[in-house]
Amino acid sequence: MKFIYNLLIILPLIIASYVAQADTPIVNIVIRDHLFYPSELEIPAHTKIKLVVKNEDSTPEEFESYELNREKIILGNKQAIIFIGPLKPGEYPFFGEFNILTAQGKLIAK
Amino acid sequence: MLKKACCYSTVFITIVFSQSALSDGLTIDKVYHPYVQLLETEIEYQFLHEQNANDEFNGRQRHKLGIGRALSDAFFAELSLIGSDNHGETIAVDAFEVELKWQLTEQGEYDNDWGVLFELEKEKSENSWETSVTLIGLHEWSDWILTGNLSLIYEWGDDIDNEWETAFASQLRYKYKQQLEPAIELYLGQDTKAMGPVLTGSYRLGVAKKMNWEFGVIFGMGSEMADATWKLNMEYEF
Repeated sequence: MKFIYNLLIILPLIIASYVAQADTPIVNIVIRDHLFYPSELEIPAHTKIKLVVKNEDSTPEEFESYELNREKIILGNKQAIIFIGPLKPGEYPFFGEFNILTAQGKLIAK
Repeated sequence: MLKKACCYSTVFITIVFSQSALSDGLTIDKVYHPYVQLLETEIEYQFLHEQNANDEFNGRQRHKLGIGRALSDAFFAELSLIGSDNHGETIAVDAFEVELKWQLTEQGEYDNDWGVLFELEKEKSENSWETSVTLIGLHEWSDWILTGNLSLIYEWGDDIDNEWETAFASQLRYKYKQQLEPAIELYLGQDTKAMGPVLTGSYRLGVAKKMNWEFGVIFGMGSEMADATWKLNMEYEF
């Protein structure tokens, strides 16, 4: 009974966390020939952004960044959405896990 | 105001459910995150060793070996063999477990990230079953990550009392560096109240190959469980 009572308290909070994140700025990155275009991006600090990563190669790539705490596979000729931030001002490197020697980039939060 | 309330909901879950978790048995396991990586395969080994001044729990060990595979970008399935070793006996497989994780929200899209874990476990030599559904919630504050696992469990069979239980596990982790992250874990159940420090980290072993490790000691609070449970988790992702 106590469990059900607790669940009734928590459910509204779970639902509230689904409230749409309106006006999230969209930033686009393209993967082509195992490189990120652009490889450096300026984004607003303290703002959540929606990163749309389009993989124009035929092979999969993994967008990875420990600093951003993100890891996402993008299949060949597909795109993926990665939500980032809000970030403190600074530089946040990222790389392509499957082509780490070439696929390198960074986000600069200002 | 609403946004602030959402930000702290994971903490709230921890506090509220810490008053009511009701699962018996050894509920120290691991704290699951809600994410699924497309194309990922994983081999996992988990080792638990109980230490106690009371002989009843001293030296009890649990081994778990599993293999898992992402079925899509939202679902991950894992099959595990569970063995135990009491006071130096030979290790033998005594249970099987199937897990299915469902990532409900995109990482970072909302204030909290959510997932659900379904588990089914069967004792090998007994007609004893356990199934559970676990709500996984995760919240990030800059370099701090708080994860909560709230489980509703049902046990049934000829060799076990049919009953519903709840359990709660939580981890607060600091992103120090990829190879080494300190954390603290909390486990609550009917006979389990335990908390302790854990170190965790991740090493890249090549293209799309990674070894995740976790090592810690969880201290029991109360006479119903071991004074200390040492835990080691190794996950090879490829």
